[in-house]
Amino acid sequence: MKYLQILMLSGLLVLSICGLTVASQGTTSDVNSVWIGSHYTDFSDYVKKAGEYNLGNDEVLPEIKLNYGLRGENYFMRLNSHYYDDKNIFGNLTGYYEDRLKFNVQYQSLIKQAGRDLLENLEARESVGGNTGGGKMLTHEVLDADADYNTHRQMITTEADFVIDKKHKVNLMVAHRTIMESGTEQMISNSHCFSCHITSRSADIDKITHQIIAGLQAEVVGQTIGYEFGFRSFKSNADEVYNHYDVAVNPNDSSAAGEFSSRLLYEDSTLPYGTYPETKKMSHKFRVKGDAGKGNYAAAISYSKAENNITNLASTAWVGSASYAVGLSPRTRLIARVKASRLRTDDTLIDLPNYREGTSAGPQTNFDFTRYSSLDRADARFSAEVISRLNKKVTASVLLGYDWIDRYDYPIAGEGLTTKRMKGQLKVRYRKGIKYSTFVKYRFEKTTDPFVSGRGLFEERGRDELNPIPETFRFVFYFQREDLRYQSITTEPTDEHIFEWTSRWMPDRKVNLTIGLKGSYDKNGDLDSLDINHLALRPNLNLNINPNMNWSINLGGNYGYYKSSGPITVALFDG
Amino acid sequence: MADYKTNTINLFLHTSYQVSPQMTLFSTLSYNKSTGKLDEVVMDLDTTRLWNEVRGIYDLQHQNFDFSEMNEYAKMDYGLLGISLGFDYRISPRVTLSADGQYYDLKDDNEDGYVYGNETGSYFVVRAGVGYQF
Repeated sequence: MKYLQILMLSGLLVLSICGLTVASQGTTSDVNSVWIGSHYTDFSDYVKKAGEYNLGNDEVLPEIKLNYGLRGENYFMRLNSHYYDDKNIFGNLTGYYEDRLKFNVQYQSLIKQAGRDLLENLEARESVGGNTGGGKMLTHEVLDADADYNTHRQMITTEADFVIDKKHKVNLMVAHRTIMESGTEQMISNSHCFSCHITSRSADIDKITHQIIAGLQAEVVGQTIGYEFGFRSFKSNADEVYNHYDVAVNPNDSSAAGEFSSRLLYEDSTLPYGTYPETKKMSHKFRVKGDAGKGNYAAAISYSKAENNITNLASTAWVGSASYAVGLSPRTRLIARVKASRLRTDDTLIDLPNYREGTSAGPQTNFDFTRYSSLDRADARFSAEVISRLNKKVTASVLLGYDWIDRYDYPIAGEGLTTKRMKGQLKVRYRKGIKYSTFVKYRFEKTTDPFVSGRGLFEERGRDELNPIPETFRFVFYFQREDLRYQSITTEPTDEHIFEWTSRWMPDRKVNLTIGLKGSYDKNGDLDSLDINHLALRPNLNLNINPNMNWSINLGGNYGYYKSSGPITVALFDG
Repeated sequence: MADYKTNTINLFLHTSYQVSPQMTLFSTLSYNKSTGKLDEVVMDLDTTRLWNEVRGIYDLQHQNFDFSEMNEYAKMDYGLLGISLGFDYRISPRVTLSADGQYYDLKDDNEDGYVYGNETGSYFVVRAGVGYQF
């Protein structure tokens, strides 16, 4: 990584020098500066939170800032860079040449410290009467007490826009982004059935994401058409982390090994966990825009396919969108928008060993099933917005919209859930010269059949309604209690209200004040015995005062209040 | 049913004062207070335990349904104070000396800290250097 940093900084320096060599007569420079110094950091007690974006060491380090620019008759280039330490670096080079070329190159590196989950809230044990503990319990163990969790993230982005043909406005655009993450993270696993034991281990982080976009745009017969290709890949090169899963036996007396192990997919095995996917995604997008009638339109259609190379599963998406804007009068404008998409994810056969295979008595059940994804859907959205300048000071807009989402096979294959949503929005802006302005927005959304989990949240008590399978067998199995589940659960609302207000005062050039409030409230009124709602309020204030040429004062603050109401469920060990 | 509430307050004050054509002083004072907590969970014992006529006992009569402290396991309560002071001194039209210091103090009022432990800590940064314009 150090080599990459040196390479990037050298590249930015080389480009800067190239700028110098390209410079012709009449070149002028912006105000350029270099700052060279050092800083000393000193940490006390727990450093992961207070010094979240620092290296966390008591040390002296060099620090450098360089700002350099060149400006000529037909070109401009500017470099801004800051080296804080070897993990916190920023560099940006931007510029243009005539009206032919625009470019931007940026490198950013930062480190983020992460605390360790102590798992101390994962301790529970059943009671068998009074203060006597039973055999069913949940315990935890930290196996990496000396680990130091942090993530070093580096991002390189480049963008360039070339005008190939001015007459036909032919533009070529290319962009690239690479994200590299390294460090150490906490991985948590559990052994099921036997001990319900939660463990914590360290794992290396070595992730890389590449993204490339290339597009071509031209004007043809008065219309602007464009095509864009996209590619994105993600991979983790870190070593896998392993956990040993215990032999499945009765936790009280280690008996009934055959009965317990026959109900599990794996036991007495060391297996990898927390494996990251290896994905790639390709996309194609066509765009067109131009004038139509008295207004103008824009439309796009895209296709993308994403694959996980480890599981060999893929998903595809077709997305189309269009908008039309037309003036209804000299002061009123209508904008209509429509968007439709179709998402499909590979169906997967989950092939399982028979439940209780190999046991000598009692039923054996086949739980094989086909996994249909809740992402599979057809999605259509429509909206129409009227924007009107009522007078010199007031502009208002009204929006009405409708969303329709049909999930093909969720929660039941062939009987998908269809969500419908109606939206209404009102915005008003009042401006009195440059001294005062106010903006107010209210939005309401009404949703029918929001997304819900496919299984009931609660279980009826007891088991009197359940019978052994077959009737002569002595057990009623845990999986049979699925018949006792009830109450669909969701945190999605059926009614949502959103409010926003901002006002700005600037009585003179010495003072300006901004105050505002954002709020939202939503609830789900469809759930029988649950009261799901959320409330958020966020007021804010910012004041700038420049009483004279010598003083500059900026003060302010914001407050956030968030409340979520939902069900609290506790696990009972009584089976 | 229970409520989970989060409160966040952010306050800041930046000042800059040009003492003379050569010297500028600047300072920043910031404070953040964040709390998050679940309301106490109260289980209605009368409806939780039902009389089972068939067996002649209360269902789950051996279980302890006291969850009065469950909401204490994952609460958040901390304040972060930040102070910085610095100056720029132009010793010539092109050369500027600068120095600044920053201090951040985080006080975690959640003494138990079941999830991440007590996160109280602080750090300071002292910086000095020379700038050159060209």
